[in-house]
Amino acid sequence: MPALFRALVAACLASLPGLAGEIDFNRDIRPILTTQCTACHGGVKEAGGISFVFREKALATGDTGNPTIVPGKPDQSELIKRITSSDPDLVMPQPEHGPPLKEADIAKLRQWITEGAPWDEHWAFEKPVAVPPPAVKQQDWPKNPIDHFVLARLEQEGLQPNPEAEPALLLRRLSLDLIGLPPTLAELDSFEAAWKSDPETSWQKEITRLLDSPHFGEKWAANWLDLARYADTEGLGLDRPRTAWPFRDWVIRAYNADLPFDQFTIKQLAGDLLPNPTLDDLIATNFHRHTQANAEGGTDDEEFRVTAVMDRVATTWETWQGITMACVQCHSHPYDPIEHEEYYTSLAFFNNARDADLDEHFPLIPVPKDPARAADFARWLTERKTLAQQLHQHQETLRSASTWHPAAKLDASSQQVTLEVLPGDGNPEFRTASNVPNNSIFDLKITAPADLPVVSALRVELLPVDPETALHTPEWGSMLSQIHLHATAPDGTESKIEIARVIGDEPEPFFDPNDSLRPNGTGWGPYTKIDRPRSCVLILAQPLALSGNSLRLTLHQSGNAGGAVPLVAKRGRIFLTDDSRWTAFPTDPAVAKSLARIAEINRALASNTATQLPSTQNLPVHLERPTHLFVRGNWLEKDKRIDRPGIPALFGSLPGNAPADRLAFAKWLVSAENPLTARVVVNRFWEQLFGFGLVETLEDFGSSGTKPSHPELLDHLALRLRDHHRWSQKAILREIVSSATYRQSAATTAEAYAADSQNRLLARGPRTRLSAEAIRDHGLVSSGLFAPTLFGPPVFPPMPPGGWTPFKSDEKWNTLAPGQPDRYRRALYTYTKRSNPYPGFATFDAPPRDLCTKRRVLSNTPLQALEALNSPAHAEFAQGLARRMKNEIHGDLPAKLAAGHRITTSRAPTPERLAELTALYQKLHSQYSADPSLMKGMAGTPDGAAFTVLASVLLNLDEAVVK
Amino acid sequence: MNLQHLLHQARREQLTRRHFLRDCATGLGSIYLASLGRSYGLSAPAVTPDPAAPLLPTLPPLTPKVKRVIYLHMLGAPSTLDLFHYKPELAKYNGRECPAEFLEGQRFAFIQGVPKLLGPQFEFKQHGQSGAWVSDQMPYLTNHVDDLCFVHTMVTDQFNHGPAELMVHTGHANLGHPSMGSWVTWGLGTENQDLPGFIVLLSGGQTPRAGKSVWGSGYLPSVYQGVQCRSAGDPVLNLRNPAGMDRDIRRAALDTLATLNRQSEAEFGDAETATRIAQYEMAFRMQLTAPEVMDISREPEAIRKLYGATPGRESFANNCLLARRLVENGTRFVQLFDWGWDSHGSNQEEALNIGFKHKCKQIDQPISALLADLKQRGLLEDTLVIWSGEFGRTPMQENRGGSEGKFTGRDHNPNSFTLWMAGAGVKPGLQYGETDPLGYHVAKNPVHLRDFHATLLHLLGIDPHKHTFPFQGLNQKLIGVKPAKVIHDLLA
Repeated sequence: MPALFRALVAACLASLPGLAGEIDFNRDIRPILTTQCTACHGGVKEAGGISFVFREKALATGDTGNPTIVPGKPDQSELIKRITSSDPDLVMPQPEHGPPLKEADIAKLRQWITEGAPWDEHWAFEKPVAVPPPAVKQQDWPKNPIDHFVLARLEQEGLQPNPEAEPALLLRRLSLDLIGLPPTLAELDSFEAAWKSDPETSWQKEITRLLDSPHFGEKWAANWLDLARYADTEGLGLDRPRTAWPFRDWVIRAYNADLPFDQFTIKQLAGDLLPNPTLDDLIATNFHRHTQANAEGGTDDEEFRVTAVMDRVATTWETWQGITMACVQCHSHPYDPIEHEEYYTSLAFFNNARDADLDEHFPLIPVPKDPARAADFARWLTERKTLAQQLHQHQETLRSASTWHPAAKLDASSQQVTLEVLPGDGNPEFRTASNVPNNSIFDLKITAPADLPVVSALRVELLPVDPETALHTPEWGSMLSQIHLHATAPDGTESKIEIARVIGDEPEPFFDPNDSLRPNGTGWGPYTKIDRPRSCVLILAQPLALSGNSLRLTLHQSGNAGGAVPLVAKRGRIFLTDDSRWTAFPTDPAVAKSLARIAEINRALASNTATQLPSTQNLPVHLERPTHLFVRGNWLEKDKRIDRPGIPALFGSLPGNAPADRLAFAKWLVSAENPLTARVVVNRFWEQLFGFGLVETLEDFGSSGTKPSHPELLDHLALRLRDHHRWSQKAILREIVSSATYRQSAATTAEAYAADSQNRLLARGPRTRLSAEAIRDHGLVSSGLFAPTLFGPPVFPPMPPGGWTPFKSDEKWNTLAPGQPDRYRRALYTYTKRSNPYPGFATFDAPPRDLCTKRRVLSNTPLQALEALNSPAHAEFAQGLARRMKNEIHGDLPAKLAAGHRITTSRAPTPERLAELTALYQKLHSQYSADPSLMKGMAGTPDGAAFTVLASVLLNLDEAVVK
Repeated sequence: MNLQHLLHQARREQLTRRHFLRDCATGLGSIYLASLGRSYGLSAPAVTPDPAAPLLPTLPPLTPKVKRVIYLHMLGAPSTLDLFHYKPELAKYNGRECPAEFLEGQRFAFIQGVPKLLGPQFEFKQHGQSGAWVSDQMPYLTNHVDDLCFVHTMVTDQFNHGPAELMVHTGHANLGHPSMGSWVTWGLGTENQDLPGFIVLLSGGQTPRAGKSVWGSGYLPSVYQGVQCRSAGDPVLNLRNPAGMDRDIRRAALDTLATLNRQSEAEFGDAETATRIAQYEMAFRMQLTAPEVMDISREPEAIRKLYGATPGRESFANNCLLARRLVENGTRFVQLFDWGWDSHGSNQEEALNIGFKHKCKQIDQPISALLADLKQRGLLEDTLVIWSGEFGRTPMQENRGGSEGKFTGRDHNPNSFTLWMAGAGVKPGLQYGETDPLGYHVAKNPVHLRDFHATLLHLLGIDPHKHTFPFQGLNQKLIGVKPAKVIHDLLA
């Protein structure tokens, strides 16, 4: 149905007349403002100093000095003067922006102002309110309150609901909806028999069976993964593989276990911030690690980190709130009351995640292959974190207690780089005076101050070139991949000085700072960016008596970012101390014990086979990034600093008794204070079951989205989910599929179709094409090839020749040989490469998962026909179904074909259809028999070949690709 | 049959087909709502195609100069300083250290330390009436310079291949946005319903860095994504029937399928069923049409020779000939990607003095043949040919890792590069824009990719500011949200 017509239907539905003489702001006034005014007087620009997005702004005076709206006094309101003016210079909208307002609209505005210009918030921003199910005339139809809401509306429109669908099609609908797989012949038999004696009980029994099926989670995970923009590769540039599948498995398990949606939310957005997180809590935080990354040589990690953070903001708001937040990054929301700055207060929740577009996808958490070890892993990770923090505290205390002396004299030289030394007010520092190449080695000659005869430790401090801007727009960092220290006697003779330990400045750095003391290590340094002074302490094995010797510190810097940008320090200073506590530090019993335990944990982790999964973790507090507002969304142009993360004022504020962090934000999303989450969630369920949402624009509940077709029903379901069922997703699904509304037949007449082609009024049951995933899964089950294994690394189903052309040609698509179970796994286990999506899925409208996808728009194209008729995967399905008809189904030819028809469409063919199929079989059979060369490569016998062609027809039936 | 006769016949068939399509199809396709488009407000898409026939041709809201586009993208970004943009000053300073003011604040992919300036690597001469400077690496093309409209001041935001390729084709540096071809076919449909409206052809052995996203449909319906076709093997994915299913058997199977589906349609009254029946028939026709159109062995030998095309191989020459056959058969948007132009000088293939010269040889004759062939068939009157990379290259020699390599090369330069167009709607023989003496930055008349996108849509009869689709709360446009303007100086 054309979108235009849809829009018209929606408009008609929306414009049901209200009681005469009473103006409803949201119904009568807001649409006029949104369509006619806010383009110029809204969030993007406030022409003439006027905005119609907030009431206080609408009631204020514009640049003319005249009040725009004077409640109760339309004739004193500039708004009315301007929309009724005949002066082309004054009239609004201005002639070049559109025709004058309609008389009816002017009358509405006038009446509204006369009535005091009351302002209601857009419906979706008001909390849902329970409305008792309305009374209906046809009292024997409703099976639960849902039906009251639907039927009341139908009766209002003079429409009749459809009769119940036949049991076979009902079970097909239910099975495909709840588990994404069609019913088997045995399931159909048993249900059809049970239905005859007791329809209601048998229906509930099927609901229970399917909700309890392990395949339930697979079906709903596929839906959630669209929102999570789940993929097995990182996206841009090289689009390298990036481990994600443990998260996919977590989602499946969460649905299967009916993890309440509030928990489901909190774990994904802030599982890392929960006290003593389980491994599952940490795995769940992978939700926001599906953002695009770029490992192409020479890319700026900060640019792509910022892009990822912005994507997290957009995805979170769209997934949980159905609000388009992305547009607020450049300016205030064009029509919803969200200010530009509020985008950045939202962004601040996400801006302190530790990940930063690093090639290694840090931070990673180990996920053991053996699920029985998960509890151990979680315990070890928490313990290691605690120990590391204690150690860090200990080091910091000592560091600030020590007296650090600047070098009395510093000389710096390098063969690769021009270095200069600035006196720096008694605190000399080295700086690079040229561009820096890879593999730079700096030699720093340090003369200790005369009053420091002994040295126990050195502190290497690295600085940004411009510390002020670096704090919000960091510079390239550096890695001290090797550190050597020598004492140089006045006569030039040198002796090597042993460094016992390198101590970094964060509790759990991505690399061990002590690698700097070993060849081929990565070492210590700000990786890959530096945003503030960073330092490490080099503890000498023994205190060194200088006796007039100078020190020579050699810093090897062989690290680079993305194989292109050399990670070489541009600026730094050296400090010395004689504090003997440093010498004792590594052997301090408490320190040694902690270090030994950390080493033990690391060995224990390493002794288990594990997958490293990118996770969300925060920066340590002392390294937190300040968030700034970006001018017009440009990350290179920073404006004022954002003090504190927060939610838009429209929604109130976070509770003041907890830190304003991701955890508080996640809890607010699923709290009773939030007007949107429960509505957005039930609307998405409705869309999955009925083909469209009660709010058709799943992605936009704001004032430019469509209005709900059944607002009271939406709120009823939202409150049932949130309050009655305590966020149980299975419970709310059971309620919907138990309704008479859901069980209606999908058949329609030409008149009924013309009256409501999109079925927004729900006078018939849903009939939608299967999703890309369900198309494959349906084929797998029909062909008998289906491998029901759950979970695990991605798989590689058959690929049509020419369909796999990754940028890196050494990346192989390894399809297993026919007969191997992993060849026949459900669609959601297929390797998802963003730059080369599996063609069969892309053809059937699966998104490439580059960005959060709220709604799939279904198409109907010749390429889909080619895929379902000819692709290697579907050709194999036909052969599988042919074998089943030929070998497994007993009886004569019509019995075999009828069973095939029932396998793919869930119902027996009419005699007419069976006759058509039989005729085709006989015709083909004689053709293949007459010329056996025709069947080469397909089958060994004419009946095998004929069954294969018939199977292909049965799998391509309209009834086989819809539910 | 002589060549002239063949051409005449082809032209007549094409006109007949177009006549049929114009008279029978126009008006049934998309409903163009551009007049309702607003910068903000109710988010109505600019176009609402009929889902049952989403690619039927539509008349654009403005008078189009261009009906079809062939975009030749040289992946990796060729050095236009060594082909079309002559900088004598750069030659003078060849080998000198690059002045510091050019390095200050610049972001490079690979250059480190102080690089040396690198003069033009080949001999330049002026050609044609227009006096265009072209280097000796494009001898065939020198005969066509008076048809070319050179823009020397193209500017992009991106200096890495993946994002920059996306910028060229989708106007955004991140994945998820529709490509030009998708925007155009969404707005205009295509003239031949038996072929995809937006076709992509690859050569050079590798796909773009950004993968299939550069011809993806983003948030537009997937039916508008580019369809990759091949000059070797199956021209379209899954076009070939499985073994054992010949065309007669497939026909018989489809007849039964249609009969059964019509019964379903009668029973359920679902309009999608009727569409599905039609799509299966279209697929059946496409199985015949696509291989015919894609079979260059059907071309007379003289034409194949003109291009240097060899049937059965995957080559840029074959793809140029295919591009002509496709536009001749009514395909709206044809995109050629040729890999191998990333001349960093880090190895033989990427050396300006070796690999680059081979690449030039591979494209010079085919492009010249394509221009000549389109012209002699009258197709250049309403077809636009565009040639570009995804950014420019530095006037400095690359010194990866801080030292100069064994081979000569240049790093990425987003600040300026040359693009040329030929054919419908653009001024032939034009040299547009000026760069600084080194050819590094734009000195006068910058043309950002956004301006180029605006100009292209304008030529196709589409208002670039009103061609919008609502997504993420914004009425999204190919030209994005930053200022973009049609460059009227380029228009004929």
